[in-house]
Amino acid sequence: MTDTSDDTPTGATPASQPPSRWEGVQPWLTLACRVGLAAVLVTAAVTKFPPALSVQAVEAYDLFPEDLAQLIGYTLPLFELALALLLLAGLATRYVGAVSTLLMIVFIAGIVSAMARGLNIDCGCFGGGGQVDPGETSYGLSIARDIAFGAMGAFIALWPRSPFALDRVLGLFR
Amino acid sequence: MGSEARKRSREKLRQQREKEKKAAKRNRTLIVVGAAAAVVLLIVGIGYAILNADRSDGYDGPLADRTLQEDGSVVMADEGVSAPVVEVYADYQCPACRQFELLNGDVLKEQAAEGNAIVHYRPVSIFAQRPAPISSNSLRGGAAARAAADHGVFVEFNDKLFEHQPTEGNEGFTVDELKEWFRETGADEEQAAEFDARVEAEAAVVTRFVEEFLPELTADATEQIGEETLGTMVLSDLINWGEGNGHDPGFLDGTYTGEIIEATGNAYTRYSGDNMFRGTPSVYINGELLDNNSAMTTRGLTEAIASADEGEVDTQPMGEGDGGDPE
Repeated sequence: MTDTSDDTPTGATPASQPPSRWEGVQPWLTLACRVGLAAVLVTAAVTKFPPALSVQAVEAYDLFPEDLAQLIGYTLPLFELALALLLLAGLATRYVGAVSTLLMIVFIAGIVSAMARGLNIDCGCFGGGGQVDPGETSYGLSIARDIAFGAMGAFIALWPRSPFALDRVLGLFR
Repeated sequence: MGSEARKRSREKLRQQREKEKKAAKRNRTLIVVGAAAAVVLLIVGIGYAILNADRSDGYDGPLADRTLQEDGSVVMADEGVSAPVVEVYADYQCPACRQFELLNGDVLKEQAAEGNAIVHYRPVSIFAQRPAPISSNSLRGGAAARAAADHGVFVEFNDKLFEHQPTEGNEGFTVDELKEWFRETGADEEQAAEFDARVEAEAAVVTRFVEEFLPELTADATEQIGEETLGTMVLSDLINWGEGNGHDPGFLDGTYTGEIIEATGNAYTRYSGDNMFRGTPSVYINGELLDNNSAMTTRGLTEAIASADEGEVDTQPMGEGDGGDPE
C-alpha cells in the first residue's frame, strides 16, 4: 500500500452526496470508530480481570486444552488492551482495524460453536463467563454486538484516514 | 579511465539512492506495522509477566490440623490458633471454584499452617437442581468429600476432586474414580472399604434424587405454586414444601447427599445484605464476603487475611469418636 490519499474505495461514496462532503466527514467517522472500539476493548479487558475468572470463561467453551485455555485467559485481555491503545494512538490504523475485525470474527465463531454444541454458557465477553442456567444464554445478543464491533473495525480498515493519528505524523494515510 | 570509473560509480550511486528511496517508502508501512506489533508484544509480554507474578509458588508442607464439624464442614487450623476465619464455599462441579482452588488453594494451606488463618471449608452443591450430569456430579463429589473427611483426608480429597473436575455437562466423579482417588490419599484397606461402601450408597441416593425425586417434586411444585415462586426458592425450601405435599425426602436422612443440600440451604440464610451468599466460589473473612479482586488473586487474598482481625468459627466440632453418621 502507498501513502497517497486515495484509500477510499471507489463506489463506496454514497451517490447522492458529492465526494468532497464524504471526504470531509469520513475522517471524523473513522475517529469516532477508533475511539468507540477502543472504549469497547478497554471495557472488555478490564472486566475480564482477575485472570483466574477469565481462564474459567475460556475453559467454558471447552475448545482448548487446559494449558492453552490458561494462556488465552491471561493474554486475551492484554491483547484487547494493546489493540485499544493502538486505536487511540492511531498507529497502523488500517491494520489494527482489520485485526480487531478478525478478533470479533473469532469471537463470533466461538459463540456459534458453543451454541451449536448446546452449551449453556455466558460468552464472557465483558467479564463473567462460565455456565448459566439453560434458557439464560444470550448468544444472539452477543453475536449481534460482536458484529457491530467488527463493522467498526472494518470501517477503520477500509477508511483509515483520520485526525489525531500517529500514522499522519509518520506519513501514512495523510 | 579514472573519470570513466567515477562516472560509472556516480551512476551506480544514483541508482542505489533511488532504489533506497523507493524501498524506504515501501518500508514505511512495514515499519509502522512493526512498531504496532512491538507495542502489542510489549503490552502482552509485560502484562503476562506481571499477572503471572501473582501466582503462588505452591505449598507442599505439612497441613494444619483438620477438624470435622457437626454440619459436615471442615476447619483447618492448629489447636489454639487465633486468627481470621476464612470460609470457603465451593461446589465441586463449579469451574470458577476450580480456578480458585488452583490459584489460592495452596495459599490457604500455607496461611493455615503458619497460623495466619483459620480455614473453614464449606462444600455446597449449588448445582443440585441443574440438569444431570451437572447436578449428579456436584452432589456425588460433595458427598464423597464428606466421606473422605470421615477419614481425615478431606483437604487431600478436595484437591483431587478439583484436579479431576469433569467438564460441565460431561459425566464425571464416577464411583470407581472416587474410590481410586481416595486410595491415592494414602488410605489403608479398612478405611478404603468403609469409604467404598459409603460412596456407593451415596451414589445410589444421588441417582434417586436426580432422576426420580427432584423431577417429580419440581413438576408438582411448578403446577401448584407456579414457576415464578419456585424460581425464588432454594432447594432445601422446596424439599420442605414437598415433605408436606406427598414427596417424602426420608431417603436423604442421614446421607451426606442430604447433608450437603442442607448445608447449601443454610448458606443462603447465613449472611445478610452485601454479604449474602449468592453462588460459588464465595470466600468470607470473619463473615465478610470478599470481592473477586480479593478472592481470585493471590495478592488480594493474602492481603485480606493479613489485614483482618481474629475471628470465631461458627460451627461446633463433630463429637469425639463420631466418625460415621452425621448428627
